[in-house]
Amino acid sequence: MTILFAVFLLSMLVITAVAIVRSSDLFAAVMLLGIFSLLMAANFFVLDAADVALTEAAVGAGISTVLFLGALALTAARERSRLGPPGLALVVSLVMAATVVYATFDKPALGDPNAPVHQHVAPWYLEQTPELIGIPNVVTAVLGSFRAYDTLGEVFVVFAAAIGVLFILSGDRPVSQVFRPKDAPSTRGLKHHLIPRIVGKLLIPFIFLFALYVQFHGEYGPGGGFQAGALMAAGVILYALLVGEGRALEALPEPLLKGMVAGGALLYLLVGVVCMLLGGNFLDYSVLAADAVFGQQLGIILIEAGVGIAVTGVLLCIFHAFAARDSGI
Amino acid sequence: MFATVSIAILVTMTLAIIRALRGPSLYDRVLAVNMFGTKTVLLVSVAAYLLGRPDFLDLALAYALINFIGVLAVLEFFQTRALRRRLDAEDGSESS
Repeated sequence: MTILFAVFLLSMLVITAVAIVRSSDLFAAVMLLGIFSLLMAANFFVLDAADVALTEAAVGAGISTVLFLGALALTAARERSRLGPPGLALVVSLVMAATVVYATFDKPALGDPNAPVHQHVAPWYLEQTPELIGIPNVVTAVLGSFRAYDTLGEVFVVFAAAIGVLFILSGDRPVSQVFRPKDAPSTRGLKHHLIPRIVGKLLIPFIFLFALYVQFHGEYGPGGGFQAGALMAAGVILYALLVGEGRALEALPEPLLKGMVAGGALLYLLVGVVCMLLGGNFLDYSVLAADAVFGQQLGIILIEAGVGIAVTGVLLCIFHAFAARDSGI
Repeated sequence: MFATVSIAILVTMTLAIIRALRGPSLYDRVLAVNMFGTKTVLLVSVAAYLLGRPDFLDLALAYALINFIGVLAVLEFFQTRALRRRLDAEDGSESS
């Protein structure tokens, strides 16, 4: 059954991808990208990677469509015609694709217990997680504790990406004025549409509640800071769509958002430094409390909070930067 | 039974994709994406039981909560574009 799902979803994925590339109508491409992301998330889910699927769901279903439409508002509706026949590019792509397909013949079969990935450190993680960290979701244990360095790197990549996007979108204005919209039209937002406004407003608290659940339930089920941050940002973006972007910026002002971007990443770093000051290794949370297992859990909760704050801040900064650029031109 | 239901959902998903690919109008595509999102929620819920992982229903909940944000963004996009075109047209008629 898994194979049937996977084959179906992957072939749909290929068809959608080809259609996105071939479409010159950019709005249609944005809509198809939404479908692409849904297919991708379903595929992750079928392969039992629920944490990844939740991230893809949170980012792909809501936020990426909003950001793509924000970009589309700044540019033309149709792709400009290509410069010439795609001869060389086609050959390079085909050779690359053939190489990758050839390489997959050496890949171990799906779910093969003898594959190197299942032989190297994974058994150790599975064995030691209940004893050392005491939480049921091994993914969270690996992400938050065993491989906390990698996650720290990811958070700083997200941080750097936000700075890059803000820098580009600020254009000729100073970066400090990225968010200041010039005389935004008063009819922005969907506040004149009764049904979306009422239904949306009813849903916003539940989205926040669910985001907090995902944030703090990550030790037991799929979830964690990245997913919760994306869900939280989706809730705020929904508010911005309903009542206008300016009102959302009043509720969560620009200095706060920028502080969240930097503060979340710094909170993560700080936990690592505190571990060192208490005599442990960098990001070795066992020293945070008298009981080593409780220290690990405390450390994971703190760094997940840092990740959640940073991701919320980054996504909202990018959203507001697009919106401000849109109304500024 | 779950298998039958999931195959039926897969067929519906295919139909939605065909509509999204063929268009022809923008609204066909918007509706197709919205429907595809709904079908993904259903597929994930059914597959969660089929594969014996009912705790993965969280994922379907996340989808159900934020799936319509994209559609609202599309509405807002068209509203702003129509408004801007009207403003541009007024500017043009004043200056000429």
